[in-house]
Amino acid sequence: MTAQILNGLIVGSMYALVAIGFTLVLGVLDRLNFAHTEVFMFGAFAGLVAIDAGGIWWLALPFVFVVGGLFGMAVEFISFRRFEGDARITAALSSLAVGLVLIDLTQKVWGTEPVGMTIPGYVTTAGFELFGMRVVYVQLLILGVTLALMASLHLLVSRTRMGRNIRAVADSPAAASLLGIDVRRVTQDVFFVSSALAGVAGLLLAFRTGFANTDVGLTFGLKAIAIMAIGGMGDLRGAVVGGLLIGVLEALTFQFGVGKLGELVVWVTMILVLFVRPEGLFGGGVHVKDVRA
Amino acid sequence: MIQDYLFFTGINILLAWSVYVVLLTGNLSFAQGAFMAIGCYAAGIMTTRYGVPLAVAVPAAMLLSSAAAVLVGFPALRVRGIYLILVTVGVTFCVRIALENVAYTGGVEGLKGMSGTRLWHLGAAIAAVGLLLFLLSRSPLQRILDAVREDDRVAASLGVNLTYVKLLAFGAGAAIAGLAGALYGHYLIFVRPDNFDILVSIFVVLYVILGGVNNMWGPLLGATVMTLLPEFIRALQDWRPTMFGVAIVVMLLLRPEGLLKFRQPSARWSGHAGR
Amino acid sequence: MPVADREEPPVLRVEALAKQFDGLRAVDGVSFDVARGEIVGIIGPNGAGKTVLINLISGFYPATSGSVHLAGEDVTSLPLHEIGRRGIARTFQNIRLFRRMTVLENVLIADQRHARRPARAFFAFGRQRTEIARAARYLELMGLAARADRLAGTLPYGEARRLEIARALATEPKLLMLDEPAAGMNEEETAELVQDVRRARAAVDAIVLIEHDMSLIQALSDRVVAMDYGRVMAAGTPAEVLADPNVQRAYLGEEGGP
Repeated sequence: MTAQILNGLIVGSMYALVAIGFTLVLGVLDRLNFAHTEVFMFGAFAGLVAIDAGGIWWLALPFVFVVGGLFGMAVEFISFRRFEGDARITAALSSLAVGLVLIDLTQKVWGTEPVGMTIPGYVTTAGFELFGMRVVYVQLLILGVTLALMASLHLLVSRTRMGRNIRAVADSPAAASLLGIDVRRVTQDVFFVSSALAGVAGLLLAFRTGFANTDVGLTFGLKAIAIMAIGGMGDLRGAVVGGLLIGVLEALTFQFGVGKLGELVVWVTMILVLFVRPEGLFGGGVHVKDVRA
Repeated sequence: MIQDYLFFTGINILLAWSVYVVLLTGNLSFAQGAFMAIGCYAAGIMTTRYGVPLAVAVPAAMLLSSAAAVLVGFPALRVRGIYLILVTVGVTFCVRIALENVAYTGGVEGLKGMSGTRLWHLGAAIAAVGLLLFLLSRSPLQRILDAVREDDRVAASLGVNLTYVKLLAFGAGAAIAGLAGALYGHYLIFVRPDNFDILVSIFVVLYVILGGVNNMWGPLLGATVMTLLPEFIRALQDWRPTMFGVAIVVMLLLRPEGLLKFRQPSARWSGHAGR
Repeated sequence: MPVADREEPPVLRVEALAKQFDGLRAVDGVSFDVARGEIVGIIGPNGAGKTVLINLISGFYPATSGSVHLAGEDVTSLPLHEIGRRGIARTFQNIRLFRRMTVLENVLIADQRHARRPARAFFAFGRQRTEIARAARYLELMGLAARADRLAGTLPYGEARRLEIARALATEPKLLMLDEPAAGMNEEETAELVQDVRRARAAVDAIVLIEHDMSLIQALSDRVVAMDYGRVMAAGTPAEVLADPNVQRAYLGEEGGP
């Protein structure tokens, strides 16, 4: 049981990392970036390149952070920059198309089958006993990296000048621009950060499973979109808690032997949340305020 | 072979129209593949297990898809458009996982033994849906839907119940997708849950975007071109998703309203005035 | 002159209406009545809470507290479309037309026979003669008949404002609210607007007019409510309100300010 919960927290922390990216772009810029899930997917393959190039395996993490971020900026340039205001849906669709292209090109290079990733055994299999439960080092690595990234993001948003600009744009892009804030620059920053997190999450998932897989964007990655809604659209804290919650719930349902039906948990939860509390877990979702349809 | 091309083109036209109807109120649905699956399985189970005639099973399946849509659409459409996108993605996953894991529907193996769809049935279905859409475009309902898409809050302040109108469109779209599904299953004889992958839903949405969303002919054009083109140009087949994705991105930049972007006013001051 | 009938409730009664945004109390306990036949002007410096007030009355924002009664009926927490159906129609400071639809269609959408029964509206396909005839009244009232088949997004500013009024009137409302209708208009257009509003007056029970332009307020309103910092600063006849020292200070302060 505790082992299941630990497992759930680990999967959940990766969900959270992807959901944070979704909710950051939505909360600050009011944009839905569908290419996000595929940047997440590509994170594993970028890591593969870094590791195969003979570098030190853990250097793949910062490498993927940067590559993911650059992909995010590219997506912003291709799919979002030209569309403003009412063209929100158009931009979302354009990013969806970019995502499809990214999947197809990745499959052209690496094939459609999962590709094995070589990481030292002392990370992936070695571990220790804790309260009668086996903990593998890779689990600690995943928890450590995600926690560190979330903490840094929190500091970035709450304590830095860049964070202050981000909050100003989230409040009102027009007002921010009047205050002399370079909205385009902030937009790029937000895309960079959100996609960088997604890329790292993709690599961490590959560390855990041992494979880079072109399917994960549309399966694992898309769940993050539901988690964003559960936590409240645009609510960072909600994305973290929602991710962990869904991770644990999924792990527990698998435990109870409902098999693949456990995959339903996240979607059913999302629909229930929409019914009962559309503003999300903490009511911090900025996008339902004052909406009375 | 040529018959199969025509058949898949026809199914895609129906699906594209089902997306179009939902999009009339400004909402994107990524669940049209799932509603197609519901229609397909519902009709298939009725005809193969209970001996219901196809002519009865098809409308029953349409009703069922539509009811499912209204049920899941309600909580989402009450709040904000973006929630419908999320809910429909969720529905697509739920339907697929449910079909794969419930023994009654045949599990991963799928459902077999349906038959009876002739090509002309599909032709008749397209003609019927097309006629309804044409009449719609000349009716007051069309401009109510368009107004909701343009500025839903203003439309509401003029007395339009947004939740109701959006549900109406979503339910109608699901019925059309259910129709496509019922005909599809009884043509293929054998279907599996992965025939209704989320990619099906995504591609159909993109057909509509490519063709244009301001009139009923855009989706028809988009679906026809995107189904037939790769069949006849070999080079396109291998690079289909990339070519398609790039085409969408480029078109959205150059012509964001789609290939056919004209809109027919729902009423005219002077019956013979030009456009 | 307003008819003071003891039996009849006022067209609009606003009581202690308030709206709290995060730290800010944008409307802070506003009360006033609008009687049948009246045009009530609402004035005040930028940020006084005038537009928020109109958004509260028309249901675009939910109120934090207080109440709105329309002809004696509580409409405070009704959904937006119900408020529209009960008879409050409005225009917008930043014109909100259905830009990609024709002028005629913009007015037709407000036709309550269809707006309230969308499913049935499908079966009214065809020539729609009666609908067009009804819409024609309002287009002609606002002098837009010659523009009927143009796209609303291509109208010049003054005509776009008039179309918004025509669209609001086509819902056959009890109360019409105009949010800064003269904003961005030159003197000639403003003079035309005065005539338009006078004609609109005959079609509704009462009008609420938010405006910066004092000449417009003086020409049209029977009574004026002056707001500042979300509160009512003064109320009465235009002459009384404009003579009020607080009002003068608020306006002079604004002009003298940065």
